[in-house]
Amino acid sequence: MSISRRVFVKSGGLALFSLGLDPLFLARAAFASYRPLPTSTALSRRILVCLFQRGAVDGLNMIVPHGDPVYYRERPRIAVPEKDVLDLDGYFGLHPSLAPIKPLWDSKSLAAIHAIGSPDATRSHFDAQDYLESGTPGVKATPDGWLNRYCQHDREHQDTPFRAVAFGPQLPRILAGTAPSLAIDDLQVFGLRAPQPAARDRLTRAFEELYAGSATGLLSTSSREAFEAVQVLKRLDPGQYRPAHEADYPRGKLGKALLEIAQLIKADVGLQVAFADVTGWDTHVNQGASEGQLAGRLDELGRALAAFTRDLGERMRDVVVLTMSEFGRTVRENGNSGTDHGHATAMLVLGGPVNGGKVLGKWPGLDPAQRFEGRDVAVTTDFRDLFAELLTRHLGATALSAIFPGFTADPARFPGAISA
Amino acid sequence: MKNPVVWRTLVVVGACLPFVGAQHAAPLQSAPPGPTLTPQDSAFHALNRLAYGPRPGDVPRVVADGVMRWIDRQLSPDGIDDDRWAQRERRFDILKYDRGDLAALYAEAQRERRERKLTAGQTAEGPDSVGAQHAAPLPEQTSLPTPADPMIPKSRRLAGEFADLAVVRAALSERQLFEVMVDFWTNHFNIYFAKGADRFLTPDYIEHTIRPRAMGKFEDLLIATAKSPAMLFYLDNWESVAPGTSPPFPLSARRRGGQGARPMPKGINENYARELLELHTVGVDGGFTQQDVIDVARIFTGWSIERPQQGGDFEFHGWAHDTGEKQVLGVRFQAGHGMDEGIRLLKLLANQPATMHHVSRKLCQRFVNDDPPDGCVDDAVAAWKRSSGDMREVLRAIFHGPDFWAAEHVRAKVKTPLEFVVSAARAVAAEPDTSPRLAQVVARLGEPLYLHVAPDGYPEREAAWVNSGALLDRMNAAVALAAGKLQGVTVVLDSVVSTGDADQLVDAVNEKILGGTMSENTKQVLRRQVADISNPTQARALAVGLAIGGPEFQRQ
Repeated sequence: MSISRRVFVKSGGLALFSLGLDPLFLARAAFASYRPLPTSTALSRRILVCLFQRGAVDGLNMIVPHGDPVYYRERPRIAVPEKDVLDLDGYFGLHPSLAPIKPLWDSKSLAAIHAIGSPDATRSHFDAQDYLESGTPGVKATPDGWLNRYCQHDREHQDTPFRAVAFGPQLPRILAGTAPSLAIDDLQVFGLRAPQPAARDRLTRAFEELYAGSATGLLSTSSREAFEAVQVLKRLDPGQYRPAHEADYPRGKLGKALLEIAQLIKADVGLQVAFADVTGWDTHVNQGASEGQLAGRLDELGRALAAFTRDLGERMRDVVVLTMSEFGRTVRENGNSGTDHGHATAMLVLGGPVNGGKVLGKWPGLDPAQRFEGRDVAVTTDFRDLFAELLTRHLGATALSAIFPGFTADPARFPGAISA
Repeated sequence: MKNPVVWRTLVVVGACLPFVGAQHAAPLQSAPPGPTLTPQDSAFHALNRLAYGPRPGDVPRVVADGVMRWIDRQLSPDGIDDDRWAQRERRFDILKYDRGDLAALYAEAQRERRERKLTAGQTAEGPDSVGAQHAAPLPEQTSLPTPADPMIPKSRRLAGEFADLAVVRAALSERQLFEVMVDFWTNHFNIYFAKGADRFLTPDYIEHTIRPRAMGKFEDLLIATAKSPAMLFYLDNWESVAPGTSPPFPLSARRRGGQGARPMPKGINENYARELLELHTVGVDGGFTQQDVIDVARIFTGWSIERPQQGGDFEFHGWAHDTGEKQVLGVRFQAGHGMDEGIRLLKLLANQPATMHHVSRKLCQRFVNDDPPDGCVDDAVAAWKRSSGDMREVLRAIFHGPDFWAAEHVRAKVKTPLEFVVSAARAVAAEPDTSPRLAQVVARLGEPLYLHVAPDGYPEREAAWVNSGALLDRMNAAVALAAGKLQGVTVVLDSVVSTGDADQLVDAVNEKILGGTMSENTKQVLRRQVADISNPTQARALAVGLAIGGPEFQRQ
């Protein structure tokens, strides 16, 4: 008994020791103490909101090359008819479901980057999403995401528990890494729940002590981030939030996420990088044209973005929203009135700092000879060129080579999404 | 513990002898290989990995039995008496419906919904037909009304019940390892409940495709999933046809006359082919090319579903099959073949070394460590080769291996939401009902069952589950469970931990809930917290809630 007991204690200690050496844990420990929240003026900083259209959005039906007859020839059943396209520049136009954000184009705070994507040729959702989030196309072993690496390497900014927030039940790959980041599924019920405030505070303190003294590894760092955030939200009282300017967010996850992002921005809690998923873009079958499946998804996206900019009003001068997707879809429609996995797609950037009213990037054309492998829109802008531009010109990042290892960011290749 | 002298001897012998390859260990040895764990810790570890955690009394029972003997019994689930669960299972109405019944119920619910919309003066939405992809949003987890609500269509009620069935089975069945493996394969061969026809094909898929083969040969399971309507629908293969082919007249007439006239498919769809290679078999680094994907898709042209909107079965359409020559992973498939070449391909893939390695590694990740040691994977692959892919032998090799018992892997894994909820329910001997509520707790913690949209299934790695928001949700669920306020389960703590003074209470919670792994800090916090609570029942509920929501219980 006594021997086995001792052996157990020893092995338990070994287990703790090996966990303590976990590199992620050690690195996170470096962020262990948050500085007190600075005054609100110091916190009105520039903000990047990333929306991930998971499932590969059909860039050609989102930003429609209606000036190209090949587009109509290749998509007899799913092309957006000329009469329905909201023309942008005589050649490209918006899908009609995106009408709510057309005013942003007109006021030059919305731009599109077309023919953008990954230099890696994979047509696997998982690989391509992985690369888009890790920021290292073709390299699977990268342990963290590029948004997290930005937070690691750009320490000019004050660390607050809300600096990097993902809206959803799980922390996405793009924010995984050693810099603290939060996953929030619902702002209103974030924290311990109890019938009375006193009981809630007591429970919070008890769990805080438990995790502070007994947790190891990722459980330890994540719980510390959680209790910091709980403290801040207690002041905020998110249940009382009402959108400004009668902004009308669509029902559903995206509308809710953007509403909560707007709320955190206005509350000046130090939010700098926000992230949310928008799903439902993998339109292999019955994609639809002006109406239908894709139109329904774009409608929700357009209304949510319009409500967000309306709600934030003047604050949009500090905010850039980026939509991104892992790849585009085939130029030609498939046998099921849908589109299969392709290569380049289109991304949107909107907000005050945006060099808007333009479709940016180099358009490769849709002729079979100009396509990637004869079937897909070719990539002419590496997505890292856009991300690097947003990080440097909008957020002021300096350590680009650490954020995108193996990639030399060259301002000459930036698509020009941010006003000089 | 029962016989310290014997145990001490074993420990000393184990420590002195050079370690002998575990795969050569006698199958009925009573002590696990490796010198470091007490019998109680071994039992606790095995119950945390092969089972969904111990119920009260399980640890001493397994110790008395011998942990290796218990493991061996778990490897032969048919021999385990599960009568109590068999009785309970009958309460789940969903098991009385086949996929045809469910399809009819679903169609009826769709019709009613459209009629309601029309009478409400709105434009009717397009039918949520079998072809609508990912169109339906995830059900709002908080808005599911009580099962008795007459406004809820029967189909939706049964769907909620089906998710709950998985959770309750995991909590109550004696065939614990079997239930763990069902969850493993459900994720390995993931489908998505909310995609069109999978709303009514999923129960059949789990009951009749996955479960009967969860502890059998990998090849059989692979072929069964390839032919399952749920998988054919989820990864679009049912619509994949050789370019230029069209169905004979009666079929096209039947289609057009059916619900929602659909355009006829006109070409191959690579979706299933790609995931078959990348996820189900050889893995993403398995050395396949885009041309392999295309040829696999060509081999599976014509693998379809008979009347999917009515819950029909697998059907091979000879007219849709590409009879040309193909080549996959360097193996030629001669022209002129039909469905037989698909079976030949599946057998080829099932027995590729890359497949053995890919699947074995995932099993080691599940049972040993998020980053499994090579030796564990090698043992599993060797057993796979010896047994021609018999999963029981592969599992046996993992459980008899030194890595499974190594101190650095004990409590090294964080529980998934399903594992957390089920192990918590088991720890307090909770009695679940048939409502969807317990499954909703699992969903709220981030793992809505059968609703992982991507074909890779829910992740096994802790980084996917440990984040601040999810941790707070786990704490909340734990407190509610211990207070008897978690809907969907009945908890009577009297049968688990007796009330007592602070020291007695904390000792009891440590012993019964945490298997003796409670840290000094946790003991102190718990003692402080319960010290000023005069009501002993409340004190106990708080101590149990803190223990289950605390850091030790998140690990397995």
